[in-house]
Amino acid sequence: MIVSYENIHVILGGKKILNGVSILAEEGRITGIIGPNGCGKSTLVKTTFGICPYTQGDIMLNQESIKRYSPKKLASRIGYVGQDVACAFDFSVFDVVSMGLYARADKSRAAKEVVEEALEELQIAQFRDRNILSLSGGERKMVFIARTMVQNTGILILDEPTNHLDIRHQLFLLEFLRKSGKTILIVLHDLRLAAHYCDKIYLLCEGQVAAEGNPLEAMSRDQINRVFGISGNAFANQEGQRDFSLF
Amino acid sequence: MFLFVALSAALVFSILYTISIGSADIPVESVFGILKDHLFQKDREREAGIWTMPFFQIVWNIRLPRVLFAALCGAGLAICGVVMQALVVNPIADPYLLGISSGASAGASFALLMPLPFFAGQNQTTIMAFIGAVFSAFVVYYMAKKAGGGRLQPITLLLSGTAVNAVMSAVTSYLIFRAKSPESIAAVYNWQMGSIASAQWKTLFLPAVGISLGAVTITFCAGKFNLIMMGDDDAAAMGLRVTWFRSIMFLLSSLMVASLVSVTGVIGFVGLVVPHVARLLAGTSDNRVIIPLSAMLGSIYLTWADALARSAFGAVELPLGIITAFVGAPFFLFLMIKNGYGGSGK
Repeated sequence: MIVSYENIHVILGGKKILNGVSILAEEGRITGIIGPNGCGKSTLVKTTFGICPYTQGDIMLNQESIKRYSPKKLASRIGYVGQDVACAFDFSVFDVVSMGLYARADKSRAAKEVVEEALEELQIAQFRDRNILSLSGGERKMVFIARTMVQNTGILILDEPTNHLDIRHQLFLLEFLRKSGKTILIVLHDLRLAAHYCDKIYLLCEGQVAAEGNPLEAMSRDQINRVFGISGNAFANQEGQRDFSLF
Repeated sequence: MFLFVALSAALVFSILYTISIGSADIPVESVFGILKDHLFQKDREREAGIWTMPFFQIVWNIRLPRVLFAALCGAGLAICGVVMQALVVNPIADPYLLGISSGASAGASFALLMPLPFFAGQNQTTIMAFIGAVFSAFVVYYMAKKAGGGRLQPITLLLSGTAVNAVMSAVTSYLIFRAKSPESIAAVYNWQMGSIASAQWKTLFLPAVGISLGAVTITFCAGKFNLIMMGDDDAAAMGLRVTWFRSIMFLLSSLMVASLVSVTGVIGFVGLVVPHVARLLAGTSDNRVIIPLSAMLGSIYLTWADALARSAFGAVELPLGIITAFVGAPFFLFLMIKNGYGGSGK
């Protein structure tokens, strides 16, 4: 499954937030979106479910406009976890993860079994009966990601999923996503993680794509300096693994 | 499951027992005898001297419809409380938050202080209160949608509700200010404090059908209420048509509350507190549990509150709204501190 954003324009409160952004998340790969604060990363991913409406352009799911999809059908293809982990009501973790069943297309397996499996996969089974309000931000993030596992979508869109997570869980989550085989579109602030885990990077600046390509191309010293105003670049070490060095 | 069975039993007991409570002292066995004889078309208990005809008049024609109406109101207000808290994603919302009670008050005040020449008496008050409530709800809906650029968002709903509440309260105050007779002003204040003393068999049918249909629809959508309670972004990402669902449910619950408040006046606190009590008892906010649980708790609560209203001061009835707040608030605080809330519990 692939999802592509084609020439997306977004205006919020009279201000142009996105100005013709085109992004392609390829089948089974991790596509990263990086960029400074306020460059439009979150706005872009929020256009997917109409959370932020776009004024021009289109979003294509397997070459078909998402406008043809009902919200429920779209949610059976694309899972989304936003930045915000706030919650006003005290659902149990099991209840929250179960909510992913609403759009799940595959009804062949028992609901309880599917939810239990997602909790195990994300290593949060110990929170099963805990009140969501009693969890930390990072723990809640894992719960929301488990919910998208229950949704059983081919595509995952995650807005800063590593926020609130300690380093062990950051690595666990990204490794988990890499092994999932799903098409992943991920907004990241951590340039080391982006360089290491993303197959392709889109570098956004002031509502436009400033650079794109594999991390070594898109996160070159020149691009990083131009967009973030700092010194740093992505590189491949002796084992061929990508990393990012500051200064 | 145990909770549901226990509350179902408590509800049946409450309805039957509270029929015996009132200014005329009627033994519980007489109540059971009357109900048994009348429902099964027999006269065995009367022949055995368990009940007399005056008792029958009180039990069957006065108290039973009243108790049933109290149960219906309690269930309706509690369910609408759950709905409103979900729709505005705010645990402190209640069914009256969005201008419905103040609209009803303005309508009722109009009928009580400046009566129109047709539909005189109680009917006019009910009709005008209903019109006021529905008018307010539609204004809130329209303004909120307009302000949200076509989307019905919690914040615009809350702000529109606050503004319409203020305007409608001002209308009521103005009408009271212009009123000449102290009796009619007292009637407005009495109406605002709520009562279900006017309940009769003939006035029970329509609200019963309306509230039951609304309650079934809402219960059927319980899973969708769970999604919307996670916030608009999450609900949309999980596949809910957020604005459409919020609009339909807002209008449905507004009609339900309007149909109740126009008959009973403002019975506060039930819609706010009962859903929280249900959540505390059930240990979850899952609406598949909370909606039916709130309906039962609301019914039990209001049948006993009304029993207290008609018996606490002999023949003089205490306004129901006073009791629901006086008894409900301390009980809620007790539960909140005892069980922990907002994450301090399990």
